[in-house]
Amino acid sequence: MSTHLFGLTSRTFKHSHAIGRAEFAGTGFRNPSDMAIAPDGTVYVCNRSYENRPDGVHVTVVTLDEEYVTEFGAYGEADGEFMWPTAIALDSEGNVYLADEWLNRISKFTSDGEFVSKWGTAGSGDGEIDGPAGLVIDADDNILVVDSNNNRIQKFSLDGKYISQFGSKGSDDGQFNMPWGIGLDSDGHIYVSDWRNDRIQKFTADGQWEASIGSTGNGVGQLNRPNGVSVDKDGDIYVADWMNNRVQVFAPDGRYITEFHGEAVLSKWGRDKLASNPDMIRQRSLAFANDPGYEQKLMRPCAVKIDSDGKIVIIDHTRNRLQVYIKEDEPALV
Amino acid sequence: MAEQDIALMAHLMRRAGFGASLDEIEAKAAQGYDNVVQELLNPETQEAVEEDLLTRYNPSYHEAAAIENNVQQWVWRMINSPRQLQEKVALFWHMIFCAGHSKIDSGQEMGLMVDIFRQKGMGKFDDLLLALSTNPGMMYYLDNTESHKTNLNENYGRELLELFSLGVGMDEAFNYTEDDVKACARAFTGWNIAPPYPPFPHGRSPWEFRFDPADHDNQEKTFLGETGNWNGDDIIEIVCKQPATARFLARHMYNYFVADEPQIPAWRLTPPRDQAAIEAMEKAYWDSDHSIKAMLEVLFTSDFFKADAARYAKVKNPAEMVVSLLRMTGEFKGYKPGLFDYSQEPKYMGMDLMNPPTVEGWHTGREWIDSGTLVERINFASDILGNTELEGVQSLVNRLMNMGDKLSPEQFVDGCLNLTGPVVLTDDTLGQLISHATQEGELSHGTDAEKSDFTRRTGEMFQMIAATAEFQFE
Repeated sequence: MSTHLFGLTSRTFKHSHAIGRAEFAGTGFRNPSDMAIAPDGTVYVCNRSYENRPDGVHVTVVTLDEEYVTEFGAYGEADGEFMWPTAIALDSEGNVYLADEWLNRISKFTSDGEFVSKWGTAGSGDGEIDGPAGLVIDADDNILVVDSNNNRIQKFSLDGKYISQFGSKGSDDGQFNMPWGIGLDSDGHIYVSDWRNDRIQKFTADGQWEASIGSTGNGVGQLNRPNGVSVDKDGDIYVADWMNNRVQVFAPDGRYITEFHGEAVLSKWGRDKLASNPDMIRQRSLAFANDPGYEQKLMRPCAVKIDSDGKIVIIDHTRNRLQVYIKEDEPALV
Repeated sequence: MAEQDIALMAHLMRRAGFGASLDEIEAKAAQGYDNVVQELLNPETQEAVEEDLLTRYNPSYHEAAAIENNVQQWVWRMINSPRQLQEKVALFWHMIFCAGHSKIDSGQEMGLMVDIFRQKGMGKFDDLLLALSTNPGMMYYLDNTESHKTNLNENYGRELLELFSLGVGMDEAFNYTEDDVKACARAFTGWNIAPPYPPFPHGRSPWEFRFDPADHDNQEKTFLGETGNWNGDDIIEIVCKQPATARFLARHMYNYFVADEPQIPAWRLTPPRDQAAIEAMEKAYWDSDHSIKAMLEVLFTSDFFKADAARYAKVKNPAEMVVSLLRMTGEFKGYKPGLFDYSQEPKYMGMDLMNPPTVEGWHTGREWIDSGTLVERINFASDILGNTELEGVQSLVNRLMNMGDKLSPEQFVDGCLNLTGPVVLTDDTLGQLISHATQEGELSHGTDAEKSDFTRRTGEMFQMIAATAEFQFE
């Protein structure tokens, strides 16, 4: 019997599990906007919540095994507080950096969540920022800030000293229109989600443009306001295709590999919540029978990160959870 | 630009929108009245709200579950949407097709219902009524989900006729009988909702209309004199061809856009304020195959709308009071934190958006005002207009300064009234404001001290204007 294989079949993926549920505190998330994963699998998730529930604004610390660790930070303008958190990153010592696009500042915390310092000046001059939307820390412990409203990427030392920048407003190669997410590959290339240009742009470590992936639309390889972007050890590129409600995977040369739409089953915390609400179990079972796909699928995924084992972790924003995929060396049995 | 053109454009923007800044009013007046009416009536010719930006800065607005999030989002759209009539019409229908969060208990469903009013509110009335009758929130609110072939619940059938289309009666006669109510309810049996996901653990799913043929009464029914095996869509077709429906819509439009009419339950016995105006809109309904837009076009281009007598003939409803002040002063243009508090203000003034008191809605006109709500209205208006730190208020102060190096108290008061409306006061109120301004004499702004004094006095004068009886009207 012959088997017909199409597309890039050298990689296979499968859904692993989901983490979290909708909560304003404790064992869940509320409008999570970004996450950073430490080498030991600890995940720092920043929650944006909304104005009349400022109690939902904080960083939740969990493990990929869905163990709750702690939470820190609060809504406000004081030291250690934030209003519109957009992005979070870890340095080589495990310190946590969080960007606030309203206050135009980066706050630094220890890995335990103790506030250390803050920096950032609003403006458009060298080293000034307007709407920081993405953060990533490179192998030299410099921090790259997606300076979204200034349509550029700025590089700073970890204590906020300006080093360099690249990018300007526009749609030509190397230009941006309100960029959002940012990622690095193992060679130090920089990948930027050029949000309103619906593309990912790849740059060398010193900001020279190399390639673009994607165009506007919802077809294969097309993007609708991409947000998070990450690259795995093989150079495959994962893009949170925000308004298309999917994560797309591209080969290092930009060729489309596949896409994830979400296949979540109930998380541990989700089960716990339902266990104490039998009416909800009843209602959910009827809803599930009517439309099983609804709850499983991604809704406005806004970040995708790779952990040290190569797990692909997606923030499923509107569903207030994480969805985890794994890339199998052997063909994945799904 | 002639002053009367500005005043007319300000009147149009207060009624067909939520007011505007003076800069915007002047720009629109330069476009010409009829052109602006066409823009308002054809929202697709105007820029849309940038949904990507709106949900990037307010990510919780997407499939928002909480009622506060939905109200806040709607108030943001009222302030910022370039398609002003679309939002004004959405509020119009929300005040007629009343359903509330207190029972529905799903902010998302309230938001989706208002979006139907936004999307279909100026189309063919039959289509709007069908969208309403298949809206799961409304089906639940008016108990159609509890109405079955073998166990009828007449609530939706009754309200569809009494409150949503025909009205109880007109020209002193009744528009329908109890048998019509029953036939109507029977025709809507089986119009129900598929089971939605519960709030835990990942949020509710949007409710979905589902027709259950096994629960539908398939027997013959006689409705408004017509006999057949009617389903809900047949009922809507019959309803939409009744003269009473055209009359009911025309009176509602007059009441909302032109001048306060008596409260709705009185309409059977009380003739319209302006019979000719109502008839002109009814004619548009028939001539256009039931187009709401065609009725509005007649209204906004008519002499009865443009007349001086129609200006300031309506008490601002709380949403209009709050949003028009925010638009006039340029506050909350775009994206920033802090809108939640403002979005709750209409509630403190007696209009809990997305949660009307009953299916009959709010009592409007002078009933918006009682001793408690008046204090809220005045405090809010004077807090906004008196805050000279706000960019929009500062721009009004600058415009006043541009009137001349020195302003007499009369010129000053006149300028302040122009900038905040233009507001037209009775001679008595005007005299009091001039008398107050005269106490501190002429105004100038040559030195920093004079500028600061000018700004302070303008803020105070704005606050006094906000506290006048006349400012309660639009």
